[in-house]
Amino acid sequence: MVFIAPALIGLVAFYIVPTFRGLYLSFTDYSILGDPEWVGMKNYQAIAKDPMFWNSLWVTVEYVVINIVLQTSIALGLALLMHNVAKSILVRGALLLPYLMANVIAALLWFWMLDYQIGIVNQVIEWLGLPRVAFFGSQIWAIPTQALINTWRNMGYTALLIFAGLQAIPGSLYEAASLDGSSPGQTFRKITLPLLRPVLALVLVMTVTGSFQVFDTVAVTTQGGPINATRVLQYLIFQRAFNEQDFGYGSAIAVILFLILMVVAVIQMKFLRGNESDLD
Amino acid sequence: MKNPFTSKKTVGAVAIAVFAAASLSACGGASAGGNSASGDVSYWLWDANQLPAYQQCADDFHKANPDITVKITQTGWDDYWGKLTNGMAAGTAPDVFTDHLSKFPDFVKTKQLVPLDDAVKAANINLNQYNAGLADLWVGQDGKRYGLPKDWDTISLFYNKKMAAAAGLSPAQMASLTWNPQDGGTYEKAIAHLTVDKNGKRGDEPGFDKNNVAVYGLGLPGSDGENAGQTQWSFLSATTGWTTTDKNPWGTHFNYDDKRLQDTIAWWASLAQKGYMPKLETTVGASAPDAFGAGKAAINSNGDWMIGQYKTYKGVDLGIAPTPVGPNGKSMSMFNGLADSIWAGTKKKDASIKWVEYLASTKCQDVVASKAVVFPAIKTSSDKAAAAFKAKGIDVTPFTQHVKDDTTFLLPITDNAAKVAGIMKPAMDAVVAGKAPASSLTAANGQVNALFAK
Amino acid sequence: MTEFASQRRRRFRWRLVLAWTAVGLAIAISILPFYWVLRTALSTNGSLAANSANLLPADFSLGAFKRVFGLQTTAEAIAAGGSGASINFWGYLLNSMLFATLTTAGAVFFSSMAAYAFSRLRWKGRDKVFALFLGTILVPPIFTALPNFLLVRNLGLLNTMAGLVLPYIFMTPFAIFFMRQFFLNMSREVEEAAMLDGARHWRIFFQVVLPNAAAPLATLALLTFMGQWNEYFWPLLVGSDDSSRVLTVGLSVFKSQSPQGAPDWSGLMAATLVSALPVLILFAAFGKRIVNSIGFNGTK
Repeated sequence: MVFIAPALIGLVAFYIVPTFRGLYLSFTDYSILGDPEWVGMKNYQAIAKDPMFWNSLWVTVEYVVINIVLQTSIALGLALLMHNVAKSILVRGALLLPYLMANVIAALLWFWMLDYQIGIVNQVIEWLGLPRVAFFGSQIWAIPTQALINTWRNMGYTALLIFAGLQAIPGSLYEAASLDGSSPGQTFRKITLPLLRPVLALVLVMTVTGSFQVFDTVAVTTQGGPINATRVLQYLIFQRAFNEQDFGYGSAIAVILFLILMVVAVIQMKFLRGNESDLD
Repeated sequence: MKNPFTSKKTVGAVAIAVFAAASLSACGGASAGGNSASGDVSYWLWDANQLPAYQQCADDFHKANPDITVKITQTGWDDYWGKLTNGMAAGTAPDVFTDHLSKFPDFVKTKQLVPLDDAVKAANINLNQYNAGLADLWVGQDGKRYGLPKDWDTISLFYNKKMAAAAGLSPAQMASLTWNPQDGGTYEKAIAHLTVDKNGKRGDEPGFDKNNVAVYGLGLPGSDGENAGQTQWSFLSATTGWTTTDKNPWGTHFNYDDKRLQDTIAWWASLAQKGYMPKLETTVGASAPDAFGAGKAAINSNGDWMIGQYKTYKGVDLGIAPTPVGPNGKSMSMFNGLADSIWAGTKKKDASIKWVEYLASTKCQDVVASKAVVFPAIKTSSDKAAAAFKAKGIDVTPFTQHVKDDTTFLLPITDNAAKVAGIMKPAMDAVVAGKAPASSLTAANGQVNALFAK
Repeated sequence: MTEFASQRRRRFRWRLVLAWTAVGLAIAISILPFYWVLRTALSTNGSLAANSANLLPADFSLGAFKRVFGLQTTAEAIAAGGSGASINFWGYLLNSMLFATLTTAGAVFFSSMAAYAFSRLRWKGRDKVFALFLGTILVPPIFTALPNFLLVRNLGLLNTMAGLVLPYIFMTPFAIFFMRQFFLNMSREVEEAAMLDGARHWRIFFQVVLPNAAAPLATLALLTFMGQWNEYFWPLLVGSDDSSRVLTVGLSVFKSQSPQGAPDWSGLMAATLVSALPVLILFAAFGKRIVNSIGFNGTK
């Protein structure tokens, strides 16, 4: 099969083998500079007792939930607006602009703008007569802030995905609905939402898997802090494996993250498949 | 090596290649490769402010040794250590690099550094030419030398002279502050008096609004839990007689459960509660020096390598005062130094040794001194640096006095430094943020000591 | 009746105002930060803190851009609160270009081949292999980063363009998925005609299928290129010397230089702007295609 040969090489060499190798390393004591040493379940036992790990799991889930609720609802709203009101492609282009920035750059940009002392956002908040907000410094705000940055970068893109879904809904259905005297709210509930479900499900799969792997923005801004408020799973992996040179331990957490993603994906795929017929 | 996957034919070839990588990864420490005394020597450092000085050294070195060219790469502190570790694993680390006391024990443990004892003997380097104690820092637990000292640093108080004058504090008063863990002494009084709220009320006046502070008496760059309080509180806790570890260097038992330390931290954290110091949450991402530069803080305690940074702020008349005198009757400072080390995987060992020797000689250290960015390790060069600072209008006596008076103590040098930092930073953050009492450090201390029990 | 209609219209207008306000707000939130980047980039570092409320550049200066392009002497740069390190901007730009172009070309081409095999050819185990490819989307990148790092090192390709490009050049799961969707929906007629002429799969693929797929290929190439241009983690691990450092990594010299050093904000923002420029230009030129293409794969 010449056609898939190059892709297969890439798949085996850079995805499958590393996956098994990562799995192997999770059962070892390995400091990058030495030799991996087989230690069996030791890393996993240590993880089960590690309060830092459970904190990370919780923080990550918090991020995922906030991110999904925010991003999906804002994107849905924007998509409806683009579909019904602001039909110009310029609007779509403008909203997509943040998506062009690298994660790292988006994070640094907001790190600067949301600075407690000299950031412009806090300046505006002060002009409005409200107290300044420690976006990155407060334990309560840190995770929502990370989610907000991610939402800022991705909302246009996600909105366009949903927008494409809206475009695919036959206009005749809306005409029929308006002839029946259905109110906009009813139309949205009875026609738009059900027909949009496959697209929404896809968007959800993407956002959830992406969100569980949040790293870039945390790495260049809070680096896990304040205290442990943004020590998300992937950052903990990075910290243990690279900073503390405990690669076996880091790999073991990575395996757990991998398993979580698998479970989430399977659940979502079922959800997605169950609604595939809606569009036909 | 256990290898559960090579039996699978489909992935065989690639898998073997990958697994071979693991077994080769330790080769760096074993062979030194060719020992050519000529060619290119790569050299890494992190502080951009020092780059011009060392570039000058490299150019001079090349003139004296035309067959060796030194290539300098500067990488920001944030990426430096990760890149270095990866480079060591990858076999692409630089021949010579700037080394830090908190990092070098791990490199010694993994056999990444070249012992310099023979070279020192062969070149007849006088280790007494360096400021007292600096040369000893770079000897590992195995008794071998892994670095030659290049510079040192101490801590002082940077303060805004105009603000001090407006508060009625003379430079002489600022230079003779006292401190104790109970009421904070005149250090706290000065900090309180220098704090001004939005209505112009000072921190020690009735009606002071601690939730709307315009100028903080003391700036706060973080809890400094990962650096043993180097620039923030170590100079205070040291005056109570407390030490971080049972012995230094190479301690194996930490003392964060000691009441003297916990009292110090409790007092320090209370400044934020009183509104004299910014709350920790408001300083994430902010730079304390920048806030100082913007007139939002009156005092910053910091190290001498920051002098250049503090001087760039326009409209700030910069004063430098010694750290406060504590219960033991002394003004103390943590003493830290950098050195140049040679990576064990170098292929230019002899040329690298020559370069390190040059870096550690008066020839290079006088050049560094003349640029007035940092204090070189050699005593005579240190004096030249102080003179160069003075020529720029900066009196650095508060920094140099510690060395003269021998009121310094060392940055803790231990194994597991990265893991200790990983535990202590969040623990210390929690206390300073007011989320946990100082006594919670006892639990963190237990976790830290468990690392050494293994 | 007329009264009712006018009432409805008034209500409708009010709704429209609200809707446009929301759109305007969203656009403002998307675009205004870019102004702030520009404003900061044109400011002088030392004056930023004191002028945080000023909406115009604080102490206007082109110094930050000069720092990015390496036009300032080290002493000037440090005096301006920047990094003294010379950043080899043009070298990094070239590396970024090479990295993004090579990976895009390779990934798009090889992935289309695979996608063709997954959609138009019938062979045993096809769907299972495809599922395997799709499954790789779930592997967290950090999980494979170190094993891949070791592999590249073992091939002796560390700090080379080849090492940088290798994990991406053969395929990306997304590209395969994207092209497969397109091929599945493509009409079979032309292909069948060619088949009747006795053409083999290779010829059909190159002479019939690929030309017909020009539009989605271009879209995929654009999307891949933008993604690769913004890649950070892998180049950070593998490309650390001047011959292989890409722009996103090179920019990190603007971050703090010593413990507790302050970031060179104006330099960082200038660098951000410059490094985003190629993507912004692409977007300006092909924006319509990009905007219209998103969702192409999402509808089914």
